[in-house]
Amino acid sequence: MHEFSIACEIFDQVINTAKANRATEVKKVTLQMGRLAHTNPEQLSFCFNTLAEGSIAENADFVVEMVAPSLECECGYEGEIDEKQIRESDTLTSELLAYVAAMDCPICGKQANITGGRELVIKSIEIETEEDQTADSNNK
Amino acid sequence: MLMHVIHMGHDVYKANDKIAEKNRKKLDKHKVFSVNVMGAIGSGKTTLIEEAIRHLKEKYRIAVVAGDVIAEMDSSRFRKLDVPTIPVNTGKECHLDARLVEKALDEIDLNNTDLLLIENVGNLICPVDFKLGEHLRVVIVSVTEGDDIILKHPMIFKTAELAIINKVDIAHAVDVDAEKMREDILSLNPKVPVILTSKHDWESLETWIGFIELGVKEAQKK
Repeated sequence: MHEFSIACEIFDQVINTAKANRATEVKKVTLQMGRLAHTNPEQLSFCFNTLAEGSIAENADFVVEMVAPSLECECGYEGEIDEKQIRESDTLTSELLAYVAAMDCPICGKQANITGGRELVIKSIEIETEEDQTADSNNK
Repeated sequence: MLMHVIHMGHDVYKANDKIAEKNRKKLDKHKVFSVNVMGAIGSGKTTLIEEAIRHLKEKYRIAVVAGDVIAEMDSSRFRKLDVPTIPVNTGKECHLDARLVEKALDEIDLNNTDLLLIENVGNLICPVDFKLGEHLRVVIVSVTEGDDIILKHPMIFKTAELAIINKVDIAHAVDVDAEKMREDILSLNPKVPVILTSKHDWESLETWIGFIELGVKEAQKK
């Protein structure tokens, strides 16, 4: 399990960005998690909330948006995987395996390269400030 | 009170990838070929690395990074073979990451190294998402983990550049079909070379060692 160390990284980034923008409270943290990343959203949320106790992010909603894998094929296809193939993989029980099994190009059927779906991105945070004096509204 | 939405776009894994790229550049600069040896607990990672060291150390200058929850145990095995070894204790962590390898590289004399063997923590899940800067990603499983181990861990086989099924000499005793394991790997990753190995079968070890040697030679040509 590496959710705790990832949660530490997320917490640090969130607090630094919030403070740089003079936040008095963090209301919401939105994450984008690829379905192929080996991270469990519930465990990550639990770890983040534990870390945030006593901080300005204590009451933040921790929202994880799941991102479908995307592919790039020799034939020129670029796009998402074939969801239909996942639904039809009735012998496959694990979600991850079902996604991996559907990695063939929906156009030519060859195995394609994974170009997305392994990421874990802190997309945005919602913060409250005393007055309108954010230091940098596009803080990276 | 005012509400603001701050867009961040910070990718946690990309932060690791960036350090991995730095590691890779550093290794390339010194013409060091590096191998990330991932695999299940008890699959024989340390043993296969030892065999490679034994047969390559007269020809090439080898260094080892031994990552583990308690790294000293494997490190002492490598030191017995007279190669510089950096133990990397991951503590509670289940994988090596690029930052840990970056620190380890500082302790290695890269000017006097041709081959860096990195033993990852025994785990088929977490190491997948953390690139280290390696040139070759190897995954090792053994027949004792059962022949359904591969389909249970698809991503590590999907992203591996070399796959090894070890301890095939005892496959019958543990009622496992090593050929089924090979087929499962190829179903996930049709292009990956798969080697069936046994510590007691020199020819099979030669194939594994040959793979590493090929990489070292390529790196030295650059």
